[in-house]
Amino acid sequence: MAKTFHLTIARVGDNLFEGQAKSVTVPGAEGVLTILAEHEAFVSPLKPGTIRVEPLEGEATTIVIEENGIVEVSGNQATVLL
Amino acid sequence: MALKDIKAKIGATKRMHTVTRAMEAVSAVKMRKTQASALSGRSYARAAVAILTRIAGTEEVKKHPLAQEREVKKIALVVMTSDKGLAGALNSGVLKQAALAVKEYRADQVVVYAFGRKGEDYFTNRGYTVAKAYENKRDDIPLSDMETLADDLSAGFLAGSFDKVVVAYTSFKSTFEQIPLQHRLLPLSLPALSEIVEGIVPAKGKWSTEQKLVAPAAYEVEPSADEVLGVLIPRLTAIALYHMLLESKASEHSARMVAMKNASDKSKEVTRDLTRMYNKVRQAAITREVSEIVSGREALAA
Repeated sequence: MAKTFHLTIARVGDNLFEGQAKSVTVPGAEGVLTILAEHEAFVSPLKPGTIRVEPLEGEATTIVIEENGIVEVSGNQATVLL
Repeated sequence: MALKDIKAKIGATKRMHTVTRAMEAVSAVKMRKTQASALSGRSYARAAVAILTRIAGTEEVKKHPLAQEREVKKIALVVMTSDKGLAGALNSGVLKQAALAVKEYRADQVVVYAFGRKGEDYFTNRGYTVAKAYENKRDDIPLSDMETLADDLSAGFLAGSFDKVVVAYTSFKSTFEQIPLQHRLLPLSLPALSEIVEGIVPAKGKWSTEQKLVAPAAYEVEPSADEVLGVLIPRLTAIALYHMLLESKASEHSARMVAMKNASDKSKEVTRDLTRMYNKVRQAAITREVSEIVSGREALAA
């Protein structure tokens, strides 16, 4: 079984994704990056673009963001704030 | 009291009752809306402040200018009150906390950022400098407004206009319970931020149970620490402020709803008592009149 991590993607007043995920691809300030489970502690601003989430179960989904955001990874959980 | 006076008083009380009942209904609708947005915003705010807390523990941030502890010569105070009164003890609670926060400082050592007219009036009347006053009328204040405020605060802190930023606001617990609080926002520090995070407990969901915050020793930061923190800290500070504003809003409307409900109940009670008194006085007058007629007749017959 693939390793997973807890992923939260939230906007003010709106939770876009919350749960276990296998990977998430985000448009980082320095270029697109993919976060997998057990990623080391990491923080970066995000540029507008698309986020691709591969959840534990079900189809991969994409979320288009038009604003700047923040991604933070620590202790096998990732948080994306828009 | 004369019959006519009582009647006028009953009329006045009834009119007041319609007003308070209408205000109660309006507040109830606003209360539901603002409570929902405050509660749904909590997980977001918690996540944001948690990130801020975790990075505040790292070495990069301890060296960041916004985290430098200085001797406090001047203090900035952000007060979040409502624009209008009639909300029970809500504003006096916040102002008490605010006054407590600046108690040790002279009036010329304090810079006030007032969000809501009540706070502005309070501090202007007491001779404090109000640097900026915002109206607190709308319920859907955009996050960008808070970003401007956060930018102002960070810029002032960096320029040395003040050495500490304290926010006084109301934390929403339930419709019947709101707690006035004060928190230190700048300089950033782990204990002060943990306090804020622990105060944010969403009604339900993942964060509703107590979670310990574990700060990793080091973060990999991309592109560079300065650049990232330069973007991150003001934004996360803005989110923390926005969260406090949402809480204050929910508290305001809840407090007003309860205050208006009490007023409606009381006016109903007063109307009932006055009506009873009116009937008594009226009956006494009738009895007196009847006995006068009867005794007059008897005098004539005799």
